[in-house]
Amino acid sequence: MLELANLSKHFGGVRAVDSLNLKIEPGQIFGLIGPNGSGKSTTVNLITGLLDVTHGSITLAGEEITRLPTHVRLSSGIARTFQNIRLFGQLTVWQNLWVAENARAQRERTNFFSRWMGGDRGARARITRALEFSGLADKADELAANLAFGEQRRLELARALAAEPKLLLLDEPAAGMNPEEIGALDDRIRQIRDSGITVLLIEHHMELIMAIADRIAVLNFGQKIAEGTPAEVQAHPAVREAYLGTAG
Amino acid sequence: MDGYLITILSNIGMVSFVALSAYILLLSGQISFGQQAYFGIGAYVAGIATVMWQWPLAGALLFGSLAAGAAAGLVGLATLRLSGIYFAMATLAFAEIMRIAAELFVYRRDIGGIESGPDGVDGFRDIRYFFANEFSPLETCLIVYALLATVLAILCIIERTRAGRMLRQIGEDPLLAEVHGINVMSVRMIAALAAGAVAGLGGGLYAHLMTYVEPKSFDIMLGVHALAYGLIGGLGTAFGPILGVLIDIGLLESTRIFHGYRMIVFGGLVAVLLIVRPRGLLDEVAVSRIRRALRRRRDAGD
Repeated sequence: MLELANLSKHFGGVRAVDSLNLKIEPGQIFGLIGPNGSGKSTTVNLITGLLDVTHGSITLAGEEITRLPTHVRLSSGIARTFQNIRLFGQLTVWQNLWVAENARAQRERTNFFSRWMGGDRGARARITRALEFSGLADKADELAANLAFGEQRRLELARALAAEPKLLLLDEPAAGMNPEEIGALDDRIRQIRDSGITVLLIEHHMELIMAIADRIAVLNFGQKIAEGTPAEVQAHPAVREAYLGTAG
Repeated sequence: MDGYLITILSNIGMVSFVALSAYILLLSGQISFGQQAYFGIGAYVAGIATVMWQWPLAGALLFGSLAAGAAAGLVGLATLRLSGIYFAMATLAFAEIMRIAAELFVYRRDIGGIESGPDGVDGFRDIRYFFANEFSPLETCLIVYALLATVLAILCIIERTRAGRMLRQIGEDPLLAEVHGINVMSVRMIAALAAGAVAGLGGGLYAHLMTYVEPKSFDIMLGVHALAYGLIGGLGTAFGPILGVLIDIGLLESTRIFHGYRMIVFGGLVAVLLIVRPRGLLDEVAVSRIRRALRRRRDAGD
């Protein structure tokens, strides 16, 4: 589904991401972990085009997207959530979900008029479904800024899903959640995978990622130090060293 | 209606065009201190068209508006990648360049035995189209409001379409909009073109109603007011900036209750509103509340 070949991002002399090679198979939950500052978020920003690649290439479903502008990438099938929740706070829940409909219009409609002026007919049903899936049906008219923290996270996820992506990037979706909410998130991410969407999950919460990821890659100082199944990664000596320091 | 009232109403109408122009850019998240430049371009170009080229008024207004839109497009190419204070500075710089260029602009010709045309610092006098064609002040006022109503109607319709909503999303968080498949640069460019054209239309009307235009007519104060009207009146609907104009010109200037202190009251009003209602009186919350109330009343009426 997604292939990163020799991907590098340098900020001056700092190699935030350094010759990273990753291959994510369709239908997987792929975990990306690593200590703070190891390049996880930079990788996500490279994949979504918010940062320019220094070297290397990004291929999505067989198509190279390395130089595509950000706004085109969503219509080519990438959706994301943000580490610190990012919503249109002054728009309602409904309007926030409507944003994702825009990507569909850009993708499916070729006619200038319907692209820019088109109304809401098909969107209404899809947005209602997304509201129900995320348990926000009774909050449709609230301003996004007025939602509780957990609801905001659910809305962000619903919005990413409403774009019907092939690949979903989740940047620390469990940050700030209590154990109960994490349990629900766990189920929801599995449901997303089972509906056919490939998931790239960045997470600090080890229990969650070890429980649901099909495959995990570990970054440190921008380089991949290990990759494998959760069990393999946990046993890997380089991973133990990166997380716990040199074994005594 | 007496002449004074008609003059005030005409003024409100004309300034509303600049207020709407600044409002369009405010929606896209850009603060421009330079919309007065397009007002000036529209005024000069439309005036030249009727006086020097003997065009009919409709053609002249349209041409002035298009010229202002085109200028806004060119400026947009250079400035739209800037944001925040940098965009504000660049637009202000351009507007000042235009104002000073107008002070140097001399284009005089003999029209029907009288030498007319723009004359540098002295401005462009004797734009007598309305006078020559015997329009009454009431009729010219109606022309202003017919055009203003058209622009308002178009804006209200666009705000309800995909394009209009994209504009608001960009205004709130351009990066997030970009990640959601919106081409931020091209939407901002369209907004800049439209904003320039709207200001230019207002300028064309101004030149003909006042019968003269001079570089001073579009100095920075006009641009600052245009921005303030949206911020006072509200950014939730296109009626917001019009409300701002009504409060300033209709209440503060025309009644002269704060004669001599008007700018102090106006500045204070802006400052207070920015603190208590940062998006103006008719902000998004107020607008959605009013819409809901109207819907309820309509449902009850059925």
